[in-house]
Amino acid sequence: MGMKGYFFRQARQNLIQNPWPNAITLGTITLSFLILGLFLVLFLNTKGLLEEWGGRIRVTAYLGGSPGQEQLTRLREKVRGFEEVREVKVRSKEEALKVLEEKMPERKELLRGLPRNPLPASLEIRLKGEYQSSEGVQSLVRKLRENPEIEDVQYGSDWLERFSAFMALLKGLGLGLGALLLLSTIIVISNTIRLNIFARREEIEIMRSVGATGLFIRAPFYLEGLLQGLLGAVLALALLFALFQLFLNKVYEPLKSLLGNYPAQFLSLEQMAAVALGGLVLGLFGTQASVGRYLRL
Amino acid sequence: MIHVSKAYEGNPNALFDISLKVEKGQFIYLVGSNGAGKTTLLKLLYAAERPTAGEIWVNGFEVARLAPRKIPYLRRTLGLVFQDLKLLPRRTAYENIAFALEAVGAERGEVVKKANQALRWVALERRASCLPSQLSAGEQQRLAIARAIVNDPVLLLADEPTGNLSITAAEETIRLFEKINLRGTTVVLATHNEGLPAMWPKEKIVLDQGKLTDCAASSLCPAAEGPGAA
Repeated sequence: MGMKGYFFRQARQNLIQNPWPNAITLGTITLSFLILGLFLVLFLNTKGLLEEWGGRIRVTAYLGGSPGQEQLTRLREKVRGFEEVREVKVRSKEEALKVLEEKMPERKELLRGLPRNPLPASLEIRLKGEYQSSEGVQSLVRKLRENPEIEDVQYGSDWLERFSAFMALLKGLGLGLGALLLLSTIIVISNTIRLNIFARREEIEIMRSVGATGLFIRAPFYLEGLLQGLLGAVLALALLFALFQLFLNKVYEPLKSLLGNYPAQFLSLEQMAAVALGGLVLGLFGTQASVGRYLRL
Repeated sequence: MIHVSKAYEGNPNALFDISLKVEKGQFIYLVGSNGAGKTTLLKLLYAAERPTAGEIWVNGFEVARLAPRKIPYLRRTLGLVFQDLKLLPRRTAYENIAFALEAVGAERGEVVKKANQALRWVALERRASCLPSQLSAGEQQRLAIARAIVNDPVLLLADEPTGNLSITAAEETIRLFEKINLRGTTVVLATHNEGLPAMWPKEKIVLDQGKLTDCAASSLCPAAEGPGAA
């Protein structure tokens, strides 16, 4: 207890002795984690949104001529056999017309007056979760187009591709920026610890002369780095949560229906714990960089 | 010390073939002019420097080959009084002493008790809350000594402790070392002032340009034969 108390007192003294460098370090850690957290929240929600929309990805294969029930069933079974496919719904020409009539009740008479049903029969195909991506859709579409009975294939490919590209960009940007931010944070922490080592060099010399062990001398610096990392990460999470709430109320709520009422989510408890742990690890690395270099005992 | 030499770049004979044996409880002067090698010899004893050749035994530790992680344990058996005192300027007299105890992991109660004891021992109990800058040169010296003895060292090494003191303060300091020596602590006091041994006679060894002189007359220079006190 006495020793732990001593370490905490020393760490606290380090923090007090150099208030500005320490405040700047804490600010930098907080800002870095805030930016990373923003990316993480954005990434997770975009991913969630895409997955939800992906569930609605439908590929529609239109059939030529007037296929009979038997032909339709055979085709359905064939398509169902493709690895990408979760579910196939057959829509005959008659069903297609009925649906159109329901959608356009005011044109019902006009539609009934047509000499023959112009609408094609179709297969409505839903994809398995793992194929709900641009590549998955393309692969299925290729297979469908090989079939001569299928005249046309329609799918919402444009937005899907754009979205996939956006996700990749977001991921790349997040990772790149994240690495850069983490590295600079480590440098800032390391620099602050170096200043603290410098400020305490007389004490360190005396500690060495009276027989303090290396661990004993280094421990307060490690503690300080860990505390800064943890505190920075926790502060960033608190700020991020406040920003998230603000965004929900001011920006997202009015737009929610446009985005299919997707419930925007904050980080899970595990993800928050991971961020806090990240703060500790960063503090440790930053301290190690300085202690390893400037406090060789 | 057995046939100990220390060479630096540009000074190949900082210390040359020193053999020396100090028994437990002795008080000796290490006399020599500036640059004679006194500080180097002391540094070898507390493992701040490694010898280029020879063996050094201090309080049962073979210092020349001591693993770095074991150096703190050697130093806990020593008390060091530096030429420049190395007092912490922003800490009070009491805190300067307490710091030395805390640095070796002493419990709080023990820190308070021993730090106050040490202050009394050097007659600074009334100056406990003063910063070093508020103390006289003699008081600062006593504070440095109090810090050196607070962990009950077996061997006290003092480098020019009277260098900047008036005659009165120097006498006070020597008397204090004698008092510490009477407790059973071995004292090695390095000085360039040959007047000290004349005024307060003790055993002495003389260093000149890295070599021991007048050795034949001294009981401190045995034929090197094995581990001794120092």
